[in-house]
Amino acid sequence: MKTINMKINGTERQIEIDENERLLDVIREGFHLTGTKEGCGEGECGVCSVLLDGKLVNACMIMAFQAADREVITIEGVGKDGGLDPIQQAFIDTGAVQCGFCTPGMILSAKALLLKNPTPSKQEIRRGISGNLCRCTGYEKIVEAVALASDRMRNPEQ
Amino acid sequence: MKKSGKGIGIMFYGTGYGNGYPDVSRAKAKIDHTGRFTIYSGACEVGQGAKTALAQIPAEILGISTKDVIFDHEDTKTTLDAGTCAASRQTYNTGNAMKLTSESLKKILENKAREILNLNKEQTLIFNDHHIYQKADPSKQISFKQIAGSCDLKELEIEEVFQAVTTEMNEETGEGNPYWPYTFGACGVEVEIDTETGGLDITNAILVQDVGRAVNPKLIEGQMDGGFAMAQGYALLEDLNIVKGEIKHHNFTKYLIPTALDAVEVKKIIVEDPESSAPFGAKGIGEPVMIPVAPAILNAIYDAVGVRITEIPVTPEKLLKAIKEVG
Repeated sequence: MKTINMKINGTERQIEIDENERLLDVIREGFHLTGTKEGCGEGECGVCSVLLDGKLVNACMIMAFQAADREVITIEGVGKDGGLDPIQQAFIDTGAVQCGFCTPGMILSAKALLLKNPTPSKQEIRRGISGNLCRCTGYEKIVEAVALASDRMRNPEQ
Repeated sequence: MKKSGKGIGIMFYGTGYGNGYPDVSRAKAKIDHTGRFTIYSGACEVGQGAKTALAQIPAEILGISTKDVIFDHEDTKTTLDAGTCAASRQTYNTGNAMKLTSESLKKILENKAREILNLNKEQTLIFNDHHIYQKADPSKQISFKQIAGSCDLKELEIEEVFQAVTTEMNEETGEGNPYWPYTFGACGVEVEIDTETGGLDITNAILVQDVGRAVNPKLIEGQMDGGFAMAQGYALLEDLNIVKGEIKHHNFTKYLIPTALDAVEVKKIIVEDPESSAPFGAKGIGEPVMIPVAPAILNAIYDAVGVRITEIPVTPEKLLKAIKEVG
């Protein structure tokens, strides 16, 4: 066992970890933030995507100790002040959610993309979310949602 | 060299369990002491939109907003059996159960309203936002809440059951009615094939789906996009590779499904041809949207390079080998 510090969704926390635990285990079982899902567990499906110091990672491929003294954002920390992030709202408005299992990871991927490139083309959006698998939607409405969120973030009046 | 081709696929699909197998959906509904409407049915929301589309049906019948429909579902303690979310049957079967239940409850409310307002059967009544009023004289009106306050609440509870009518097919003669209803669809694709690598790109795609009646067009579009992408994977990528009963491709490294970069923008056309036995004419389309896509892709391959592929998935290796065989 080992105690580490982690800033998770804006709050400094201390948590006891097993050295062989993954970041995903600590998020779900340590912090009880179950919005982050486990899919394949081997870095192929992107369901467990989170931001680590602003960079998109698969939480199943990062050891918990690697996140010590760093900042993690999960789906629970995407919206501000209890509200929804524009990306979350756009997912609702376009019908980009079907079964919902890929959605938390998709939204984190979209977040990482829009942080880096606030005005992505459709092809850039497709590339940005290409590490996240979805069985339900054929991705079309997800791409639409990210484009809509990008639009709204630049023109908040709309 | 790049070669391009076009192909189409057409299909029809029989909804439900079929062949005379009991295909039953149940629902119950009530008005509570506050006048609120609740409907119970065991249909599961698995992302296909059952919760939304099925709630729209009672809302339409009772003249209330969909957001005012309390739809209690998936809870085995409170709901009645509505069968499985399989065979693309929920919109049609449970949709019909929702419709029958809502109509029966509406009739009860209507009779109560006539009694209390002293109106005979010749007078048309309008249902709007938890109120019932006389069409000819809207001042004669009563709310669901007032009706609930005037009687035993047990009188405002009702259960109905819908069973699809199918009969087993005679295999000798082909006679019978194995499924009901049928749903129709078509797909067209344009492909570009690299004859050096066997790589295939879908450059254009159109999917046309008969839905009977589009209860919720946005949900239907989502199903059509998803069905196309799933069928694209089925036709070109997805292979369980079962060897002696063991699935060899048991992870996403080997079992490939389309990513956002593989998926194509599909032009979607929704055809509304109401089915007389369906709730407001609506039929399920969960599975049908997937069916014509692989045939369209295989036909486009034939058009492009002149080879008839009879086994899917058509991986680049398989396609390249077939192209080489025909020279």
